[in-house]
Amino acid sequence: MSVLDRLMGRDLHSLAAPYALDALEGDERRRFERHLKGCDRCAEEVRALTEDAVRLAWSTVAVPPAALRERVLTAVWTTPQEPVARDPSRARGSRQPARARVPWFRPLFAPLATTTAAAALVVAALFAVQATQARDQLDQERAQAREIAHVLAAPDARATAGRDARGRGIGVVASASERRAVVTLSGLGTPPDGRVRQLWLMRPNEKPRSLGLFDGDTPLVADGLNPNATSLAVTVEPSGGSEQPTTSPVVQLALETVGFGE
Amino acid sequence: MEADELLVLVAGGDQRAFEELYGLVSGPVFGLVRRVVRDPAQSEEVSQEVLLELWRSAPRFDPGRGSALSWILTLAHRRAVDRVRSARAATEREQREGQRNHQPAFDQVAEEVEAGLERERVRRCIDRLTALQRQSVTLAYYDGYTYREVAERLSLPLGTVKTRMRDGLTRLRECLGGVA
Repeated sequence: MSVLDRLMGRDLHSLAAPYALDALEGDERRRFERHLKGCDRCAEEVRALTEDAVRLAWSTVAVPPAALRERVLTAVWTTPQEPVARDPSRARGSRQPARARVPWFRPLFAPLATTTAAAALVVAALFAVQATQARDQLDQERAQAREIAHVLAAPDARATAGRDARGRGIGVVASASERRAVVTLSGLGTPPDGRVRQLWLMRPNEKPRSLGLFDGDTPLVADGLNPNATSLAVTVEPSGGSEQPTTSPVVQLALETVGFGE
Repeated sequence: MEADELLVLVAGGDQRAFEELYGLVSGPVFGLVRRVVRDPAQSEEVSQEVLLELWRSAPRFDPGRGSALSWILTLAHRRAVDRVRSARAATEREQREGQRNHQPAFDQVAEEVEAGLERERVRRCIDRLTALQRQSVTLAYYDGYTYREVAERLSLPLGTVKTRMRDGLTRLRECLGGVA
């Protein structure tokens, strides 16, 4: 090790306390973190100093706003976690932790008045359904088509849709004044043996409310939507549906862009 | 359940455990973020980011390398400091552009939860530091200044500030004793 390296090392060393207090600038922080990887003694020291620094946080405890809880917990429903930790020794420096700010579920939304990808998704699903139905179901289909048309015709009808990285999508056309929504699913395939997909209405500080079961690819018309609804979620449930969701949602969609959640 | 046990469950995707963990850590996270960021709306936004990141990155938590609370609060502090620094940079830009009257009304945050024992102990111990130790530590931790900025504000050489920070933290440890 050269004199310069040793001096550099000592200089970097003295940054342990500023680092523990988050008092380094971005570049310096990164440089020090690289140094930490090769210096067990520094890592140990930083760990101890960080525990000290964190205790400073205990003089600042405050009550968070109630709305924060709802927003965080709702987001957690649809946010996938990072892959389970790898062998830490192998992973050192080999992989930057994923800091992707891009939400997993990207909503596409716009008023229906302009033809949008979201509206197109719903309409395409409707046509697909109409084309594949057997004749004896036509009456039922027509009745449903009328309901759908009714929602679509509401002056405040808005569409929103989302699709995840695996191509699983949910499309919604909703009217807050009618308290109704037409919900279509795509890319989900057939539910596993004998199970069904159930639609839930999510509201703040209340249990999920069932909005009905999906019948194959047929859009589901949900009514009696509460104005404070924050999102729709779909879970896979035993045949006949459940009182409350028993599994994590396969897809979920926020309703705020379609006039709910106030 | 303790935060450490809960965080391990959360790392396995347990949403109920996350709800419980939220109850334990949201107060400390929000309080810390608000102390650093000050602006209420921004504090809420940063807290939300932190708590969601806690869910997302829980599988990265390694119990062998420290406590869950320490990990969570370190994450919260880092995000709060990042936010306050970019806000400050923007303010400085504005000031350079001539809006010199821009002086945000940063009031000391009042409505805090009932005085916890730990909080009183921490405050007492902070009071026992020397003035330079206290200023170096609190300007960095509570106000988000870099050690270079702290040195500038206190008109001290960089080396002195680094030493005061280290001494301050060590003395705090001695005063507070082992892990509470």
